[in-house]
Amino acid sequence: MRRILPGFPLTLGFSVVYLTLIVLIPFAALAAKAFSGSWLHLWAVVTSPRVVASYELSFGAALAASLINGLFGFITAWVLTRYRFPGRRILDGLVDLPFALPTAVAGIALTALYAPNGWVGALLAKIGITAAFNRLGIVLALVFIGFPFVVRTLQPVLVALSEEVEEAAALLGATRLQTFRRVIFPAALPALLTGIALSFGRAVGEYGSIVFISGNIPYKTEITPLLIVSKLEEYDYQGAAGIGLVMLLASLGILALINTVQWWNARRIHPAH
Amino acid sequence: MAGAIQDLTTVRQSTRPRRATEEGPLTRWTLTLLSAGFFTAFLLLPLGAVFAEGLRRGAGLYFRTFTDPATLDAIKLTLFTASIAVPANTLFGVAAAWAITRFEFRGKHFLSTLIDLPLWVSPVIAGLVYVLLFGSQGVLGPWLKAHHWRIIYATPGIVIATVFVTFPFVARGLIPLMQAQGSAEEEAALTLGARGWQVFLRVTLPKIKWGLLYGIILANARAMGEFGAVSVVSGHIRGLTNTVPLQIEILYNEYAFSAAFALASLLSLLALVTLGVKSYVEWRARQQLEQSQS
Amino acid sequence: MSIRVEALSKKFAGHAAVQDASIEVGTGKLVALLGPSGSGKTTLLRLIAGLEFPDSGRVFFHGEEVTHKNAYERRAGFVFQHYALFQHLSVFDNIAFGLEVRPRATRPHRNEIRERVHCLLQLVQLEAFAKRFPSQLSGGQRQRVALARALAIEPRVLLLDEPFGALDAKVRKELRAWLRRFHDETHITSLFVTHDQEEAFEVADEVVILNHGHIQQIGAPGLLQREPANAFVHDFLGLDFQI
Repeated sequence: MRRILPGFPLTLGFSVVYLTLIVLIPFAALAAKAFSGSWLHLWAVVTSPRVVASYELSFGAALAASLINGLFGFITAWVLTRYRFPGRRILDGLVDLPFALPTAVAGIALTALYAPNGWVGALLAKIGITAAFNRLGIVLALVFIGFPFVVRTLQPVLVALSEEVEEAAALLGATRLQTFRRVIFPAALPALLTGIALSFGRAVGEYGSIVFISGNIPYKTEITPLLIVSKLEEYDYQGAAGIGLVMLLASLGILALINTVQWWNARRIHPAH
Repeated sequence: MAGAIQDLTTVRQSTRPRRATEEGPLTRWTLTLLSAGFFTAFLLLPLGAVFAEGLRRGAGLYFRTFTDPATLDAIKLTLFTASIAVPANTLFGVAAAWAITRFEFRGKHFLSTLIDLPLWVSPVIAGLVYVLLFGSQGVLGPWLKAHHWRIIYATPGIVIATVFVTFPFVARGLIPLMQAQGSAEEEAALTLGARGWQVFLRVTLPKIKWGLLYGIILANARAMGEFGAVSVVSGHIRGLTNTVPLQIEILYNEYAFSAAFALASLLSLLALVTLGVKSYVEWRARQQLEQSQS
Repeated sequence: MSIRVEALSKKFAGHAAVQDASIEVGTGKLVALLGPSGSGKTTLLRLIAGLEFPDSGRVFFHGEEVTHKNAYERRAGFVFQHYALFQHLSVFDNIAFGLEVRPRATRPHRNEIRERVHCLLQLVQLEAFAKRFPSQLSGGQRQRVALARALAIEPRVLLLDEPFGALDAKVRKELRAWLRRFHDETHITSLFVTHDQEEAFEVADEVVILNHGHIQQIGAPGLLQREPANAFVHDFLGLDFQI
């Protein structure tokens, strides 16, 4: 095939070499290391009770946080796209703060805030809630980390929703709540699910913001990425690689899920004839 | 029609019925306050806490943080790392975006998925793969040792891990923009006798500059702030392989809270500047896109 | 059911979209609002539907003032220019929407809803398309689904915004004739917006000509052509003889 524009071999060649060096070879090393010893040992490592407890925590906390983000992300996206009030543009810009703020900074800031002697933590302590150095603290950090995903995937969809469709529903007698439930929500649902899944995916692998607030107690508040770091510090490379591989496969699964949601949505609105 | 956009600050006449696409004031205020409460608890208060904790022991101690030699070394290493990772990834991002948006080839979808990888893989795993490749027990470990090269627990490892976590940003910023712009202008330049590099520098680059800047800014913010991946490959050798985020962790774990937060406030400022520039660039990029579509 | 509009005015951000407009549409009439783009004809239609509220003036449906009633209370059937169909609902569910959102007390039984939707599908000649989604229909079919959906709530009047605007020339002609026949059968008081004078003259009993938010002239097609009230009407209709 003849290509009209120049630079095809150069740009593609460079991209492929770059990605091979930075991504493919290192990830092949991960797989190689995981399977380098006995398979039985690998299985024993990735299914040991302490590791399984960390999966449950990482996935459970990520799920809780992404659902909270689904709710508040929807409300925030709605308020930012539909209402006008002073300071709206600044709030809109600040939505991305968790993307821009280094996770370590987020970690110590949230800890300072929600620890029993912190600004908010002291208030919560009065009503008997401890919000740091336990699972609740982990969820709080993950809510912070995942918040922008839901808002940023929903906003364009809520902007693009045709106002006429909402007017049509109102003219046909739907109350505002019915219009929301039957017209707006179904249209925004795929974006909401995508946002929740993205926030979930990010939360499962999060490390920096959690290590400060979680307390890192084995079986209780020890997340999977932290366990990988511990294995490396014990020079158990195969163990670290094994757990890493499990997490990588989980992330792949989440990615496949997101693609499925998008495919399902495309089919729902534009089914094949 | 701007009818769906409602002004919370205007008091409406009570005789006028609600517009068909409007919620009642109670709903509007409840939603707005819920959202504002969430913003305060999760975004504004943490940001405020960083500066408040940093300044708690006074401005003198705050500024003394930045004269500590270990901290200065960390700042230098962070700047050095970003100065390599960001240009390298800019080059890669432009090349990848050019290949993906201007040509059809097999494996394009795979390439584009691969570019997103660092966005969904755990930063700890990003660090882990390099330890498994270059570490003393790693695949290339013995060979590196024989040549007396140190990558893991040394500066090269930090740079490589940073390159990994930041490479999607420039490509991701450019691909949608270049797809929307199409290649008609490049083709026109070719028919006028322009050569490959001339086409890129004179036609493409001016068209993509805001999208490019957008990607570079995000990549830079992440390069200077990355913690997980860098933490795994650094080995935390004080004054030698500490970046600013790692130095914050060390200070925090040594109970030097004021210093930790003072240093954190520096990165928070960087984050705020990034957000400000990002909003501006986003606005310019949107304008450029609209122009190219009209 | 008649429509009467008295001295209606509406401004958007200081710009007067409709100024001092008064119209009367008699029961069972089919009337066109004709004018160039930006003449305020769509705004006038939306004011009548209750999608906008006037700065001054009043709207009556059959002698009853509805100026301060919201859109649904007026029970006007409205067909949007781009149809505004619910993309995630089938043709059947689109048409049934207005019946299904009623409060339980007044909502028809499920079987009755099904029956009424099928009647409407028959009326718009789309019986075979009940299970399709809007994206699977042609422009003309979408237009008819939008019409059936508006009719499902048994509207007191029918308001159509550029009903043929988004269709190609051939379908447009067919649908025009169909709408006229449909109106002759149902006799539902109808008002439609168009920028195409041929369309207005062919379909409507009476034509209202607007420009810059002002009503220029109201009358039967023949009268307008014979006796244009001013230079604008004369030029807009392209009449090539002198007044």
